[in-house]
Amino acid sequence: MASLKFDLLDTVEQATTFGPRLGVLSLQREDGSSLQIKTPGLITTTSRGVVPHLSRDHTSLTEAVRWVQLPFESFLERNPPIPTLQGGPHALHKFLGYKTHQHLLSLTVRDPSDGREMPANGKDHIAAMTIRGVRKITPTQWKEYMRACRPDVVAALSDVPFTQPPYSQKRITKSLERSTAWLADLLSSQSDLNHEPFNVLVHLVGSHDARARQAFSEGLVEPLYGKDAELIAPFKTLDEGVAGYILELEHLRASLVGADSPDIHDAVSQLCKASLAPLSFGKLRVIHTTSSPHDILQLVQDVGVDLFDAPWAHQAADLGIALDFRFPVSPPPLVVGQACSSPMRRDGGKLDIGHNLFDTAYAHDHSRFASTFIDAATASQLPDAHEARDFVCKCLACSPVTSEECLVHSSVDSFRNTNGESMNLPYTRAYVHHLLHTHEMSSHALLATHNLSVVDRLLADIRKMLSEPGGEARYREEAKKFYEAYDRQLSVFDEARAQWAKVERERGKGRLRREKDSDGANDAD
Amino acid sequence: MPVATQAAIKGLTPQQVEALGINLILNNTYHLNLRPGIEVLNEAGGAHKFQGWRHNLLTDSGGFQLVSLNKFTQITEEGALFESPFDGKPTMLTPEESISIQHAIGADIIMQLDDVVSSLTVGPRVGEAMWRTIRWLDRCIEHHEKSGRADRQNLFAIVQGGLDPDLRDMCLDEMIARKDRVAGYAIGGLSGGEEKDVFWRVIKQCADKLPADRPRYSMGIGFAEDLLVCVALGVDMADCVFPTRTARFGVALTFKGPLNLRLKKHEGDFSPIDAACPCPTCSGGTSRAALHHILTLETAGAHAVTQHNLVFQAQLMGRARDAIVQGSFPAYLKSFFATYFGDRGYPEWCVNALRSVGVDLLEGQENVKTLPGNASSWDRPE
Repeated sequence: MASLKFDLLDTVEQATTFGPRLGVLSLQREDGSSLQIKTPGLITTTSRGVVPHLSRDHTSLTEAVRWVQLPFESFLERNPPIPTLQGGPHALHKFLGYKTHQHLLSLTVRDPSDGREMPANGKDHIAAMTIRGVRKITPTQWKEYMRACRPDVVAALSDVPFTQPPYSQKRITKSLERSTAWLADLLSSQSDLNHEPFNVLVHLVGSHDARARQAFSEGLVEPLYGKDAELIAPFKTLDEGVAGYILELEHLRASLVGADSPDIHDAVSQLCKASLAPLSFGKLRVIHTTSSPHDILQLVQDVGVDLFDAPWAHQAADLGIALDFRFPVSPPPLVVGQACSSPMRRDGGKLDIGHNLFDTAYAHDHSRFASTFIDAATASQLPDAHEARDFVCKCLACSPVTSEECLVHSSVDSFRNTNGESMNLPYTRAYVHHLLHTHEMSSHALLATHNLSVVDRLLADIRKMLSEPGGEARYREEAKKFYEAYDRQLSVFDEARAQWAKVERERGKGRLRREKDSDGANDAD
Repeated sequence: MPVATQAAIKGLTPQQVEALGINLILNNTYHLNLRPGIEVLNEAGGAHKFQGWRHNLLTDSGGFQLVSLNKFTQITEEGALFESPFDGKPTMLTPEESISIQHAIGADIIMQLDDVVSSLTVGPRVGEAMWRTIRWLDRCIEHHEKSGRADRQNLFAIVQGGLDPDLRDMCLDEMIARKDRVAGYAIGGLSGGEEKDVFWRVIKQCADKLPADRPRYSMGIGFAEDLLVCVALGVDMADCVFPTRTARFGVALTFKGPLNLRLKKHEGDFSPIDAACPCPTCSGGTSRAALHHILTLETAGAHAVTQHNLVFQAQLMGRARDAIVQGSFPAYLKSFFATYFGDRGYPEWCVNALRSVGVDLLEGQENVKTLPGNASSWDRPE
């Protein structure tokens, strides 16, 4: 496995354990190539090994996709799991078509965003979900699979309960004991010369119990003695053997349901801090399952997290929502002669974080997706010094790229690549509205590349602000403005879901007529 | 010519489609007229701009969908009277209206409105439809020439006449008489479930008679063997949803026959669909096993096989062009059938059709069986 290095930059005032921080993650591969990811950075989540809706060429062309998080559970449908049979030094990259110079692959057993109730985990296994039912996976199997798949980063098997909360003290204690034992078991094989060591991340467990979370972390940094010490040698503590920590927000939020806390976001931050307080300051902090851009901004500020996933950006692509927000909150770039409306403003005065393009309001809207960014074609018309040039959305929908080499199928073909004449124009809201209403998959592909790019841009803008003098103070102000400007409830997602539910009810022959009828009825209300 | 019914090749972007070496796609007038509607297309400046497609575009007239998707359609001399899918009100699509809609869409090749009957229809209705199609062609030509768009958009006539050789012949005579006012000819009224042995005879009859200096377009042809037989009989272009639709169901087309990647036998196969294929899926090393894992569950599976199948078809036709230029088309046909069908046997109708143009597929292939009926090649579980 390639060697992973994480360095915090000292440009930010980083004396405190919790607060905004900047870092660089470098992965040095055996073949001499290396890959760098700046933090705070984006984790791209996957389903069945692929970035939802993106073909392999689109995945490589979407620059936002760098750290790729792969739940392994879908592969447990077959025994042995198919990717373990691929073989070779980068088996998982090869099997799934990721590029070693571009993509860092991290492997977990479960999909962190799947909070559905599951059968209880056991003393020597956890329950994983596949479309063919639940499968048990043991720490020994997990180690074998990871050795065969060769991802860049692996998460140690952990006992995170997915049974009905609340969790008893006894259940939480068990979760801590098992997770600790399984981590020790994994680390014990790190010195096995027959196998390359893993870059290990550990899930910080303890559910909603701050003391339990703290106890788990203290256990990680505590020097071990006797047999336990022999087991994990040369490491003196478990913490020495891990490269970073994972915090599972989906599980945290689920276990906080019914708990007496005025603000769930603050409660989540507090629990994250309880886990991190005893641990090494300089190690990678990974968050799974954020639920809004606000979460990201808050966790950068309150906790100092380094990597974030954004399952909501993928959900938005599924629902037909094109993200449109910017940090710091700023007026849309001024480009003369182009109308491009901002997202809807809610009753409380807050803006949606995106456009629900399924809504008929967009049927005649021929502008690009986002008002807060411009497209490459527009940028190419602007003078070099124009400030709007800094706000180009580089996604494949706003700035489509014509391939330099188109296939030629016979000697008599003269395939004229017309790209030399002018830039590709961005895809429009009206076009995607049409594709959504006609159930065309291309709509989701265009939205997926766009939404990931917008979130990646958010993280780039966070880094930019933090790297400037006085950045941290300004960050706190600007984050506050962001919370005030944009709707954290994501009402636009609920609206889109309701509209799709209606489509489901009305689908089938005669749908267009039923739709028209029910729209008429709504108007009359 | 791949089909982009609703202004998108399913799952792909126009940049992906052009990268495959494809420069002509088809949009459906009927569908685009319903959604997004002509008003939106006009605002966008035509269908090319609306969907970001810089290459050539063909639209059909909408006649076929009126009949195939709408059971209440009545054909009158004025036009096709159908029930609007929006409000159920009777709506008339006249030849002039069809051409106007296609003008708004702005495709490079547009089709006349034809009176479509199922290819299985017999009796006087077939002749009536044929003669009406000719009268509607005249109205389409008039309307198209008056519009001033004849320099940008090319109108094709559609030869009808069902499976009746006499009707086809009369239709051909009438339409060839209008040659100077049409840019090309489509052969319609086929691919509707008729016997393949009848199908190829109609194609041959039309191709033999149509003028050499006008392209001939066979509508709704997509199986590899059908395409090559049509080319051999003198057809220049064809469209079909088959390569893209079958891709979504998990079937990859190859020169050794189709592969149903959803079958269990492919689950642990780490080879690509076709190691020699230049498509992004194969050249990028996507294995059959990886596709098996995602097909029909992740849209990315459909995208990958769609890219492959479109390249397969483009290659099939590209190699035909090369072979024709080099004078080796008969040899190409023989080698294609030998690898595509192999020992499973050749469809008898293909053998007969190609014999009619002097190519004997069975020459030197004494051990190959011939299969009666609509025999096609398919991947089955082991």
